[in-house]
Amino acid sequence: MNEVMVSGNILPLLCIPFVGLLLCIAVMPLAAAHWWEEHQPVVVAFWSVLFAVPFAWSFGVSHTLETVLECMVNDYLTFIILLFGLFCVAGNITMEGDLAGSPRVNVLLLTVGTLLSSLIGTTGASMLMVRPVIKMNAWRKKRAHIMVFFIFLISNIGGCLTPIGDPPLLMGFSRGVPFFWSLRLLPVMALNMVVLLWLFYRIDRRMYCADIAMGLKPDISRPGTEIRLEGLHNLVFLVMIVGAVILSGTLPGMAAFQDGEGHVRGIRIFGEVVLGWPSVIEIAVILLVAALSFKTTSPDIRRKNHFTWGAIQEVAVLFVGIFITMQPALMLLKSVGASLGITEPAQMFWATGLLSSFLDNTPTYLVFLTTAGSMNFAQGVVTSLGTVPVRMLMAISCGAVFMGANTYIGNAPNFMVKSISDENGISMPSFFGYFVWSLKFLFPVFLLDMVVFFL
Amino acid sequence: MEHSKEEIRELAERIYDLDAEVYAQLGSSLGRVFNRDRESCVNELCELMLERRQAHLVRSELALISNMARTIQDRSMRKMIMSAYDRILKDVTSLPTSFAEGDILDQQMAAVNALHLANRFSGQDHKIICIGRTYGSGGTEIGFALADSLKMNFYDVEIFNAVLNRLEAEKDLVADTAGHPYKSRRDADGNVQTVYTQPVYTQPAFAKGPDRTIRQRMKEFSRYHGLSKSDAVFFNQSDLICDMAKKEDLIIMGRCAHVILTNNHIPHISIFINAPFEQRVHRVMAVNEGTMTKKQAVQMLKKMDRDHVKYYKYYTGRQWGNSVHYDLCINSASYGIDGSVELIRKMVQG
Repeated sequence: MNEVMVSGNILPLLCIPFVGLLLCIAVMPLAAAHWWEEHQPVVVAFWSVLFAVPFAWSFGVSHTLETVLECMVNDYLTFIILLFGLFCVAGNITMEGDLAGSPRVNVLLLTVGTLLSSLIGTTGASMLMVRPVIKMNAWRKKRAHIMVFFIFLISNIGGCLTPIGDPPLLMGFSRGVPFFWSLRLLPVMALNMVVLLWLFYRIDRRMYCADIAMGLKPDISRPGTEIRLEGLHNLVFLVMIVGAVILSGTLPGMAAFQDGEGHVRGIRIFGEVVLGWPSVIEIAVILLVAALSFKTTSPDIRRKNHFTWGAIQEVAVLFVGIFITMQPALMLLKSVGASLGITEPAQMFWATGLLSSFLDNTPTYLVFLTTAGSMNFAQGVVTSLGTVPVRMLMAISCGAVFMGANTYIGNAPNFMVKSISDENGISMPSFFGYFVWSLKFLFPVFLLDMVVFFL
Repeated sequence: MEHSKEEIRELAERIYDLDAEVYAQLGSSLGRVFNRDRESCVNELCELMLERRQAHLVRSELALISNMARTIQDRSMRKMIMSAYDRILKDVTSLPTSFAEGDILDQQMAAVNALHLANRFSGQDHKIICIGRTYGSGGTEIGFALADSLKMNFYDVEIFNAVLNRLEAEKDLVADTAGHPYKSRRDADGNVQTVYTQPVYTQPAFAKGPDRTIRQRMKEFSRYHGLSKSDAVFFNQSDLICDMAKKEDLIIMGRCAHVILTNNHIPHISIFINAPFEQRVHRVMAVNEGTMTKKQAVQMLKKMDRDHVKYYKYYTGRQWGNSVHYDLCINSASYGIDGSVELIRKMVQG
């Protein structure tokens, strides 16, 4: 069957299961929470089959199998293993103390977390910071907004300064973007941080006052603040995971890991699907580190952290379906990306960003980086995909990293933070509720970014 | 299905105990749903269940407890707790839509109003009178004379000093942001006298403390658990007021005491004393014995009213001086100090 014709006619229809799954994630927790909790795997399987059958009819069984395995092996596996490793290691570090969650303490925590995101990745920083933030604010009732801004800043925006911060930037690094180039995004990040932290402070102060007015108060009976950190040796494991991620971005470019045609060597799974050795090394290191972390840390620390497998389990199940069913949307994007007529940085910023809100931001970033690279610019950052003007690369990078914050599924840690918060007594907004928060607070900031940096 | 108040209370206790049990099983206090003392939480739950518009909140709190309960690793324990949860949920679902139809009476407010005839100072409750007042209305003198007349203890700036001792704070770095800059006492002849702790126009109440160095700020951050000093003082003041209210009959001046006591379900009488602005200006000038011009007095009163509004709004979410928040509002210009004392005394003693 002619693929162009298929792309034009069938692919949009094949996106229906993806939309259906997103709708289920959005609506089911509200409509039938109990049922949804128990039947998530069934729903995911239903939409995955609904994608696979017509896809196989259009592209053939072999191509379907290859597409599914490709996304499972090369995208989902590394994604979930990284998340798993960070979840385990961060869950083995606990903070006990009587620092009380107040607007200024929360601003401080969000600032530290945001800056940490570029050093240890948005997922690492999120997993490390989520429990201390919940713990310090345990005395309060109105806490959902704290976690929403946590997702905005720590789980997304903070990751823009280095390739370690967010996977799209790591992909850019492996395509020739210099390691420290992303530091150019500092002014954009600083503007976003200042505006969002100011907005957060105003909201948190209002909520804090409402809590006080209800008669809630933190336990500050002892003079002086005491903070105890336990399981700190796990920070070494955290650094090891970050190292494994960097390796997975650098090793594929080395000759030793390439065959004669320049393809990455690895284990052949099926057809053209190959699990590259760099990914194998990354997975092995992370699993080893997770096991070591568990072996060397007292179960007492996990108990204090209320460590359960619920959050990672939920993310693992839902994202299998998301990764599989979003393939037609990504194929469609790849086939029409270059012909969308997007040529200006502002357009790149919004196109990359809006698509990254719902699709995996790494392939979205690559599609638009490829598009920009093929425009034959004479000046800019030289990458293996072509020369891309600085402002355009900034726009693509910011769009992919920042706008992952727009929805719960925009970036991996978003859903993890939501699940951990749900498990720990915080009534997080629904999928649509969260999107309303994005519309109210993030979109105006992104408009400001566009006016100041990308027009 | 009929539900008596005793049954509602029993249900609230079961919900609280379920939450406590879940956290005992998990061994973590991370995000506990009811993290205050049992009595306050149970009372709050009762109120939620008794109020038509708030009943859904109980279900939402229950959902949070069940989220946690589902993560208990021990299967048999989880099953047992979830069964208890299901039973509670069933009972909560069967609650009638309202218990308070057809009356303007706000049950929550009435329950802590010590003047309410049905509840007037029951055997176990102490007599507590909270007096809010505008500066220059003679409120402090009225409070002091009333305490004398009713043989009750009188607390104004003493509360703040006790909090400072509790916080081990350096006194010169902390300003009393909730009181008026004077104290009242009786002279040898038994007349009420106003004694200013400092000249009012140089150190008014709500004055900001002196500027601090970064080092002092860091020290404060650690000393007050990351809270601002004024918040730390307020929280300690709240604890102290509740402790005192459980031990003795007393009159408390200002400090949002009536809201603190309401939030902690401690019966009390709340009174607000005010007077026309012009009268207050004259009084401030008279008390200052000619050391203050009219312009200075007007400016100071306006500033103090503004600061009072801000302080009260910040800690209570309410409008300062709004009559709906008090059991009794008095225009002291209509009665004078002794007349006001007599009026309140008659009302309290019946």
